[in-house]
Amino acid sequence: MASVYRSAVIDAPAAKVWALVRDFNGLPKWHPAIGKSAIEGGLPGDRVGCVRRFTLKKDGGLLREKLLTLSDSARELTYNILVSPMPVANYVATMRVTPVTVGNRSFAEWWAEFDVTSGPEHVQVSDIGDNVFVAGFAAMNRKLARK
Amino acid sequence: MTTRICISAVIDAPIDKVWAKVRDFNNLPEWHPKFSRSHIEGGLPSDQVGCVRNFDIAAGGGTIRERLLALSDTEHYFRYCILTSPLPVRDYVAQLTLYPVTMGNKTFGIWIAECQVTHGDEAGLVDAVGNGTFGKAFEVLNEFFARQRH
Repeated sequence: MASVYRSAVIDAPAAKVWALVRDFNGLPKWHPAIGKSAIEGGLPGDRVGCVRRFTLKKDGGLLREKLLTLSDSARELTYNILVSPMPVANYVATMRVTPVTVGNRSFAEWWAEFDVTSGPEHVQVSDIGDNVFVAGFAAMNRKLARK
Repeated sequence: MTTRICISAVIDAPIDKVWAKVRDFNNLPEWHPKFSRSHIEGGLPSDQVGCVRNFDIAAGGGTIRERLLALSDTEHYFRYCILTSPLPVRDYVAQLTLYPVTMGNKTFGIWIAECQVTHGDEAGLVDAVGNGTFGKAFEVLNEFFARQRH
């Protein structure tokens, strides 16, 4: 089993960062790698168990991910991958937003555990860590950071 | 009613360095200006879970005795409770946890205490512990690592 963890400071209050992250159908609003997204069956995006279906901008690749946990008190959500173009299996990921009280900023974490089904594990780990997680944090900072 | 005090901050140093600085349960007065003199009762090692630190609030503020309840080198936290102190609290349990900020190789520190305030000014106590102790700790750690960089 491979694991990847990335974290960053977002220069915005936790309530704002969480409002962005919490919307399970909202990836295209902030993540530069994501094209279109919809929740299957017309369910609300904060209904635990719902499935988001979205595409990657670079190649139109399709992913389906299921919301497993959503906590407004811990500002945390967990999801797993049902379908994806990536060579991974048993993929479960969590995002968490914690207030930084000194300076009223946010500490954002994103981590995942999965099995790599083909190719070198470290390549998949750094692809997800840097091109998905870190790219997401950087975009979040560009969108929300105080000017 | 339980009073909860939570202060968190970014420390501009890698987690290993910050953890090495704060991990020693007997070392608080060495880096925190609010405290002076400390020893571990019974001559126990300061990383033996269950040990009791006996230290003073600086400038004659009285003595505090705290028991180490948990210490984790993998998750970078320690947890302790107050046994005796001049503070108007009971059932006081606190935990300092460090997390790595991988973007920029810094550290996120979060210090949380829960207690019952037995008498007097609750807001004053929350300020003294939250800002005076926890917030000040993060401030002096940042100053310490800033000096190290120069």
